[in-house]
Amino acid sequence: MKIEAIVGSNKKLSYNRKLLQFISKHFTDDEIHINEIKDIPMFNENYPAGEDDHDPELITELAKRIEDADAVIIGCPEYNHSVPSALKSVIEWLSYRIHPLGGKPVMIVGASIHPQGSSRSQTHLREILDSPGVNAEVFPGNEFFLGTAKKAFDENGDLINQGTVGFLEQCFDGFRIYADEIHKFK
Amino acid sequence: MKLVAIVGTNADFSYNRILLQYMKWHFRMAADIEILEVKQLPPFNEDLPDSEQTEVWRFNTKINNADGVIIATPEYDHSIPAALKSGLEWLSFNRDTMKEKPVMIVGVSYGTQGTSRAQQQLRQMLLSPDLNSDVLPGNEVLIGNAAKVFDKNGFVTDINIVHNLETSFTAFNKFVKSNMRYLERGDDNMTEPHISSDAKIQFRTGSLSIKEIQQIFNTLPFEIDFIDANDEFSYFSDKPNREHVRHTAEIGEPVQQCHPPKVWPIVKSIFDSFKLGTQDHVERCLPLNGHKVWINYFAVRDENGKYLGTMEFTGNVGHLVTLVKEGKFDGFPEGADATTGASKHDDAEPEQPAGPAMNAQADATTGASEHSDEDEDKTE
Ligand SMILES: Cc1cc2nc3c(=O)[nH]c(=O)nc-3n(C[C@H](O)[C@H](O)[C@H](O)COP(=O)(O)O)c2cc1C
Ligand SMILES: Cc1cc2nc3c(=O)[nH]c(=O)nc-3n(C[C@H](O)[C@H](O)[C@H](O)COP(=O)(O)O)c2cc1C
Repeated sequence: MKIEAIVGSNKKLSYNRKLLQFISKHFTDDEIHINEIKDIPMFNENYPAGEDDHDPELITELAKRIEDADAVIIGCPEYNHSVPSALKSVIEWLSYRIHPLGGKPVMIVGASIHPQGSSRSQTHLREILDSPGVNAEVFPGNEFFLGTAKKAFDENGDLINQGTVGFLEQCFDGFRIYADEIHKFK
Repeated sequence: MKLVAIVGTNADFSYNRILLQYMKWHFRMAADIEILEVKQLPPFNEDLPDSEQTEVWRFNTKINNADGVIIATPEYDHSIPAALKSGLEWLSFNRDTMKEKPVMIVGVSYGTQGTSRAQQQLRQMLLSPDLNSDVLPGNEVLIGNAAKVFDKNGFVTDINIVHNLETSFTAFNKFVKSNMRYLERGDDNMTEPHISSDAKIQFRTGSLSIKEIQQIFNTLPFEIDFIDANDEFSYFSDKPNREHVRHTAEIGEPVQQCHPPKVWPIVKSIFDSFKLGTQDHVERCLPLNGHKVWINYFAVRDENGKYLGTMEFTGNVGHLVTLVKEGKFDGFPEGADATTGASKHDDAEPEQPAGPAMNAQADATTGASEHSDEDEDKTE
């Protein structure tokens, strides 16, 4: 599958980035491209001020890549039991003038430095992706949370716990089938 | 009761902003509501340098000093707008501004749901351990069909919505007043000193009652702040119409928290020089609130020169400037104070005491004036 992965953090050192990097390295059958959001401006209905209405260039490019992809994976951190503003802002752009996530199979994964591993923000993200303006096809169940992320990777950036890797593979197998079904259905 | 109301969007035109303006007007007898904009803030980013966080500091200070917070949230994609989320992230990042802070949520949407799903998520965020706010239970204010709700003057046209707002605001008012922070802060307790106000204090040069001391400080045409030897903000004079508005909630706080991060290094260098004894006074002239304001920092010492703290002595000297312009001091001897004879220096700069580090003093004084107008201006 051709997959666009989105790092939901704007931080220099991000465990969600590490997780997506591991995923793109590990699943060699898929073509996984990692997208950064840190330079995308905050969503604003009146952007750019005083000029003709258009989306930031980075959003147009991201939307194009999403449209050309079979599926999307989002690496979602947890801030205040919810989705970080940096990621929410990108979704707002992608639900305002253009709707590239509409009908697109999306898998959510997430890492947190705490043991619960972004479970609550993933629930919020599901609700957001389900809203009519976004209208994504979110892969149900298969909740992949990476807790205590500081201790999860070795020096090569590989996940240390083989059980975790096994569960990730299982989620991925399911996601491939799900994405296929969604595409057949369309 | 002092409340702040946060407009939960960065949009130029916002029904939620109109709602808060209406609430500010409608509830003006019950509370002083200041409207804050999240669009002033930089997008939340853990890596943003302190020097770019002046607006965050200002936002945080306003909320810290308020008895409660009203948040008006739009709904974007069944959640709150990123611009509002970003503001909340700043308030929770290395700070406990929202901890136990009473919060009331209201929201207006274009469709019929009236932000119900965004409010649900917002409640969950506010209850997360890093924010830990006291969210007013129940009392939902969900206003749908925004385009039909307000008339052209910003008044709510539907009486049911007015009643809903009044019932919820009354509940919030009670909720704020029963909040621990509000009770502990107790503005009312602070207006009278704790020991009998008739008790006399004997000084070497006479005696004053506590009440007299308090009122002398409050009557001086200059406002006084005192930062103790541990760099904690410990007192301000309760002068009406202060140039720098202070709040009793700030008493006991490290003085660093009372300054924007950008300005703090300059202020710290003043305290450091006072502690070292390299200087005793720094002054600045600033336009503030449309006034000609003279700001002074004085090192306060005991008879042995030991540092007791810093007194900020600030006032509007517009009247003095006018007197000078009108020639009221023309023909007086230069450099001497003929009236009291208090200053016997002929030196044109009597404020600069002789000392081992005259040059360093000059540097520090210049540094202080770099503490720029715009920074100070908005601090109030
Ligand atoms: C403002 C803020 C709020 C946070 N709130 C939560 C939280 O509610 N739950 C959680 O598990 N971690 C929370 N964290 C910690 C994150 O899990 C941690 O910063 C993690 O490294 C973020 O993912 P990243 O490394 O991909 O940026 C919070 C961090 C910040 C800066
Ligand atoms: C990106 C975006 C997403 C939106 N999603 C929702 C939504 O999920 N539910 C809703 O009721 N309105 C939604 N709206 C419409 C808002 O209710 C409407 O823009 C409203 O005027 C926003 O509040 P404001 O006037 O205070 O900015 C959305 C608007 C934008 C720009």
